[in-house]
Amino acid sequence: MKVTIKSWTGVATWRWVANDDNCGICRMAFDGCCPDCKLPGDDCPLVWGQCSHCFHIHCIMKWLNSQQVNHQCPMCRQDWKFKE
Amino acid sequence: MAAVAPVVSLHEQHPDDLWNKICIAFPVIANEPLMQEYLEEQVLNVLELICQHQLSTFIEDYVVDKIQHITMQKIVPDFWSKFCKRENEMQGFESFRDAVYSVYNSLISFCPVFERLEKLRNISGIHRVVNGENTLLGTFKVIIRSSLLSQLPLNHPKITEDFYRISFKVFCNSDNYVGDQDDSPEDMVHCSGCEQEIGQCQCQSIILVFHEVNQKLIELDLLERLAGEVITSLIHLRIENHVEESCKGSFDTSHISTLEKWLDNVVMGWLRRIFNGSSENVKSEKKTEEAIKKFKQKLAHFLYETYTRTRIEQLFNIIIEYPDSQPAVEDLRICLQKTDLRPYLTQKLQRALETRLLHPGVNTPDILTAYVAAIRALRQLDSSGVLLETVTQPVRQYLRWRDDTVRCVVSSLTEEGPSELADELVRGEALQLDEGVPSDEDTENWEAWNPDPVDADPSKTSKSRRTSDIISMLVNVYGSKELFVNEYRTLLADRLLSQFSYNTEKEIRYLELLKLRFGESQLHYCEVMLKDVYDSKRINAHLDSDPNFNLDKQQFPATAMILSAQFWPPFKEETLELPSFVKEHLQTYTKAFETLKGNRTLCWKPHLGSVTLEIELKDRKLNLTVSPIHATIIWHFQSKNQWTVEELSQIMHVPSTVLRRKIAFWQSQGLLREISTDTFLLVEENPSRSKCPVPAEMVCEDEESESAMASAHDQREEELQVFWSYIVGMLTNLDSMPLERIHQMLKMFASQGPTAVECSLQELRHFLDRKVREHKLLFSGGFYRLPKP
Ligand SMILES: [Zn+2]
Ligand SMILES: [Zn+2]
Ligand SMILES: [Zn+2]
Repeated sequence: MKVTIKSWTGVATWRWVANDDNCGICRMAFDGCCPDCKLPGDDCPLVWGQCSHCFHIHCIMKWLNSQQVNHQCPMCRQDWKFKE
Repeated sequence: MAAVAPVVSLHEQHPDDLWNKICIAFPVIANEPLMQEYLEEQVLNVLELICQHQLSTFIEDYVVDKIQHITMQKIVPDFWSKFCKRENEMQGFESFRDAVYSVYNSLISFCPVFERLEKLRNISGIHRVVNGENTLLGTFKVIIRSSLLSQLPLNHPKITEDFYRISFKVFCNSDNYVGDQDDSPEDMVHCSGCEQEIGQCQCQSIILVFHEVNQKLIELDLLERLAGEVITSLIHLRIENHVEESCKGSFDTSHISTLEKWLDNVVMGWLRRIFNGSSENVKSEKKTEEAIKKFKQKLAHFLYETYTRTRIEQLFNIIIEYPDSQPAVEDLRICLQKTDLRPYLTQKLQRALETRLLHPGVNTPDILTAYVAAIRALRQLDSSGVLLETVTQPVRQYLRWRDDTVRCVVSSLTEEGPSELADELVRGEALQLDEGVPSDEDTENWEAWNPDPVDADPSKTSKSRRTSDIISMLVNVYGSKELFVNEYRTLLADRLLSQFSYNTEKEIRYLELLKLRFGESQLHYCEVMLKDVYDSKRINAHLDSDPNFNLDKQQFPATAMILSAQFWPPFKEETLELPSFVKEHLQTYTKAFETLKGNRTLCWKPHLGSVTLEIELKDRKLNLTVSPIHATIIWHFQSKNQWTVEELSQIMHVPSTVLRRKIAFWQSQGLLREISTDTFLLVEENPSRSKCPVPAEMVCEDEESESAMASAHDQREEELQVFWSYIVGMLTNLDSMPLERIHQMLKMFASQGPTAVECSLQELRHFLDRKVREHKLLFSGGFYRLPKP
């Protein structure tokens, strides 16, 4: 007997490679989306700071906009710089 | 002997003389028959004599008294004595006839006496009312009536029945005969009226007697008192038979007007002839007309009631055949307004639903179909919705207990082909749930307002009853949109992951319809799911077309359904160790994905998916589409043609029970054979099978099309388990508690924090009741407690 696979359709779930499950700002799952968004993934991506903390991009932008003077990471209070 | 003595002086007459003379005029006083040989003139003299002595009233009373005495002692006993012996129906008939004739003859025989008494009244110028009657004949009829009834023997209805049953049969038969001439009498040996042989048919004479007896009873004012009940019950019987005949089988015609016509023509024809005698044209007395009218009202009511009852008995079948049975439902609606049978209907239909629908032998889709039909039919029957709500209460309660109800509703909502519920969904109305919020409609249409029927449940607004549509009714079985939507989500997930079609147009269309019903936010998760499928298609195409990813150089093409786990229902956790070259291939795919999507990776669900195989055997070639587990099993038989379940289980990391089920598929395909318990051998050549052509393309239909998802029910169960430890703790400390108290305590202690689980009182009761059934709790007197260890 010879078994040949003609095609394979698999099922997978995607997830962000991050060191936490939930966003430190909105407390929602990274693999979900921020409270302002409807769709996860491309539409509500994560961003990393140089301090290595990450957030939903919309959450950190909102946070930074609300901080008038210095822009700090809400988790570690270091100056916030986007990781390249 | 009393000769014609010259009347010298009336005043000086000897009393005996006077008495004798009176006896000449009224021989009944001396118990003698009326003598006709005395001239009227002589009698007149005596009457004047009585008058002059101012004895008129006394004599009248005396004579009436005497007659009453005779009536009591002779006429009435004679009458009832005829009722004593009865050997058969025909004899009963004759006895009744004789009795009526004899009492009538007595009346006739007293007539001259009354005439004389009336004359005496005239001469004396007396007007009296005796026994409520101002004529002496009337007085006598009262005497006869009251005496007859005062001596009523026990068995009298029997004879009366005999008489009327026989005559009624003949009578109605003669009636039918007019319209039914095809029924040639030659075919019959016996007359269908009198049951005698045709040659000796007695119908004519029976009818003659029938009319004569009725006539006499009417004259005596006795017809109703003596025979009213019997006639009524005989007519009732006819009505019942007729209604039953008319309603047999079909529900697609209305019967009310034909039944009314039948009553007017046929039944009223009988009545008129009973009351008016043989000829129908005789202008009857006002009194008889009144009696007939009253009779008719009663019979009409009986007719409606009989018809209504019959339809109520059939109501379950009528509902099942709805909307073909619309005419029957409409009839019933009209009849319910004329009768007082609503409570009867409620009770009967509930009973029918329970015995015919609500038991384990009926499958859920059938219950739902019947429920939907009931909603439609009962809404026509009672637009207030009260009847529907009361009658179908047990159905809803029962459906709530069935595990697959929501699933059945959801799948019939979205299933292909004609489905009542799918049609209903397309009709698209916003969902009406029992939220009791007053709306503008309540005030705008105030002129069209109708009070709720008396059996309405006052806790529900009438609007919620009237406007809620069928899908809302079904969702309300659960009282929660969430559970319903969750089940839809699971169903959608199953469909997407069993068909592996990237074509989601149809699902999107249904989703749009459901959104109109349930609202955007409830179905947001499902939208993301469908978007996942759409995105997967694009990602696959993208990865495939980019040569940098090396996917085109692989042994076989692989694609993936890439899901957003947060939005899909939880998956059943299952393991499967795939063949290593497949695993490597999937890893290559993951790498490609990671490159494309930066900072994102994939977690494979190895047991999910679909694999197309080409299997070359010695004598044939098969093309099959199967699940990854099926594919892996058969893959392993390449390296070794015999495996035990245990060996496969170890190498594949799949439990034996699951493996056995999956292997069954390959057995059915003739590729594997069980040579001893749990040991399977590859069948390379199958001479018997090779002869019959095997379809080249096959899709493996999984045994019972298992769900990849944990069911909504299971999910909820898991959530409720959180409460169980709290409940055990509470009952350990407090010994026993009623439902409400447990609910309150849970609300206080268990429903706080981020993982708070809401639980309604009703849901808690179901949960606790199940624990009782599992013997983990005891319930008595309204209190739950733990069983003694
Ligand atoms: Zn966030
Ligand atoms: Zn966002
Ligand atoms: Zn930080």
